[in-house]
Amino acid sequence: MINLPVLDDITKILFVLVLATAALIITIRTLTSLLNIYSIQSWVIAAVAFVLYLKNGSIVLLLLAILTIASKAFLVPFVMRRIQKSMHIKRDLEFRYLTPIGSILVGTAMIFLVYWSFSQFLPELSSETMFFPGAVIGVSLALMGMMVIFTRKQMITKILGYLTMENGVLLFSLFVAELPFIIELLIILDLVMLIVLATVLAFGIDTSIDEFHDKLNSFTLWFKE
Amino acid sequence: MLLAYIISGLVIMGFMLLRFFAPARRADYLNSLAIAQSAIFLILSIASLIYIPQPSFFFSRYLMIDQLAVYGALISCGIFLLASFYARGYVRRLVELHDIEVRELRLFYAAYNLLLIVVVFAFYCNNLALFWILLELTTILSAVLIVTLNAKENIVAALKYVFTASTAMLFSIIGLIILFALTKQATGVGTLNWDVLMQQAASMSPRLFTFAFVFIFIGFAAKAGIVPFHTWLPQAHAKAPSVISVLLSAVLLNIGIFGVLRLYAVAHQTAAWHDVSLILIGFGVLTIAVAALSMLPRGNVKKLVAFSSIEHMGFLLVGIGLGTPLALFWVLFHILAHALVKTLLFFSAGILHQQYHSNQFEDMKDVFTLQPLAAWGLIVGSMAIIGVPIFPVFLSKLNILTELADYSLPVLFIILLCFLIVAAAFAVILIRTIPQTGEIKHEPYRVSVSMKLPIMFLFAGIVILGVYFPGGLHNMLVGIVNSLGF
Repeated sequence: MINLPVLDDITKILFVLVLATAALIITIRTLTSLLNIYSIQSWVIAAVAFVLYLKNGSIVLLLLAILTIASKAFLVPFVMRRIQKSMHIKRDLEFRYLTPIGSILVGTAMIFLVYWSFSQFLPELSSETMFFPGAVIGVSLALMGMMVIFTRKQMITKILGYLTMENGVLLFSLFVAELPFIIELLIILDLVMLIVLATVLAFGIDTSIDEFHDKLNSFTLWFKE
Repeated sequence: MLLAYIISGLVIMGFMLLRFFAPARRADYLNSLAIAQSAIFLILSIASLIYIPQPSFFFSRYLMIDQLAVYGALISCGIFLLASFYARGYVRRLVELHDIEVRELRLFYAAYNLLLIVVVFAFYCNNLALFWILLELTTILSAVLIVTLNAKENIVAALKYVFTASTAMLFSIIGLIILFALTKQATGVGTLNWDVLMQQAASMSPRLFTFAFVFIFIGFAAKAGIVPFHTWLPQAHAKAPSVISVLLSAVLLNIGIFGVLRLYAVAHQTAAWHDVSLILIGFGVLTIAVAALSMLPRGNVKKLVAFSSIEHMGFLLVGIGLGTPLALFWVLFHILAHALVKTLLFFSAGILHQQYHSNQFEDMKDVFTLQPLAAWGLIVGSMAIIGVPIFPVFLSKLNILTELADYSLPVLFIILLCFLIVAAAFAVILIRTIPQTGEIKHEPYRVSVSMKLPIMFLFAGIVILGVYFPGGLHNMLVGIVNSLGF
């Protein structure tokens, strides 16, 4: 337990970083940089968890930080990079409904909307100083991820949007209440499986059905011939 | 008891990994294992009903066997058993047509059996977060089952399913976290265990509870195919092999509804339950209306039946929202009736697809000469699903609508109008399809006994349940309604 005002300041800086990565994710077109930004975002969120651990001393937060780095900064980007290499798509140029600038504006509007609606309900829940901004930024990040899912056409970008949503939910959970560790662990495992499946499916859309079934089987090694 | 489920499930999975049989025999070998597992699970569920005191808790109260859970598990295991029999002939035919490759079979059946395990444990969850995890797993497994077929559209359908369902499910986590924080605030120890939530509900802030409820509801609603989160459903149901469509419609949608039901039972203990009822009835009516209007122009058998599932889920939501003991009793009965009738419809549609290689009604010529059983299945199923008397859906629809009349007459009229449209949609399609004749392009397909038996069983089951209400079932449903606190 360290209770330094500096920790709150660090958290604030990290929030700014989270928002900056979110802005990049909703505007950038090159898939490889999108992946890189996503892993940076995961590092930042792990850092938030670590700072909160220093502040509260809850061991679950430390474990969560480690898990986030392992799964979201390494494992998921690794799998996605491998599959993306065999997909021959480098850039996602199509924006449906919204241009990059429009997305930024909508994203900003979302933050205000979430702030306004949460200020009606959530403050009853906790008196922690960083609790409220953390919750708002978490949910806004999730909504921005959802926006990416709806406005982009490439499957890989959509998956990154989904991952961003997950990061937002994680951030929200860090500030509002950490669930028992076993549950958090299972949730993360679940989400990793989901991402791998979605990536393999996305691969299937861009290639022949035979190649897809090869890939599907290679991820279920036990059932392979 | 729960260990028995896990062990038998794992043993059968182990047998699946063994490579005893040459590829030619593999379909039947794997299918026998699937039948065995469904049968064992059904027996275990019956045993839990008889021998386990309810409610009992397991694994530090993460899991619970109560009557509602056993009821869900029994329906699911029964449907899985019927589907496994049906799959024997159906999958063999898929392999012959190269709709599914022999090398995919092991993956197909492994996902199939795992899905059964996950489904049963989802019903036995006491902890809402664990329930969420298993619900998400059902999405993953059923998506795998959809893409084992050799067609690109299946991948598109599966991706849409995975994205819609899991995006909505992320909102559920937000809601669950808020709920967890609420219990922490009320008692000092956070929990998501349903039995504790039922006791603590009264001490929670109703405003915040409604806030959490809305978030959690989004995810469960997406899994149950409630409008506006239903967009994945018609495509996934239509593209999946018919045996999987059955599981999606008669088993997986139910889990979402059971989740809503449990959550509503908690809401009933708080001051927020009028608001929550209003939300449920609103979404329910919207769902029925959208589904009914989408059904009229359909020319695809499986899409029509899929939209009918959406409509019925909406109706269940209205029934839950009414919140009277009588309405809930019939909601529970409707879940069973809907599951049986939907299974019949999809089984028939599966045979028709194998005959005509198409799901379009206009391609189905000379149905009665070529596939009399499937044609009858479609007719009886359609009549049963729109609620014609002597079929069980009639009983539950009538009683829930009677309860609705006390709640609000305008809503009753809107729903009746929608039901009229639904009935018209089914009638138009059947009247157009049955007399169609033309030159026969395909050889008559000989339906194997293993596919006929489940259909005949369903005929019998539906008629019996429509005219005779077993006393045991009555007591069980009354027990469930009481245990939910109504």
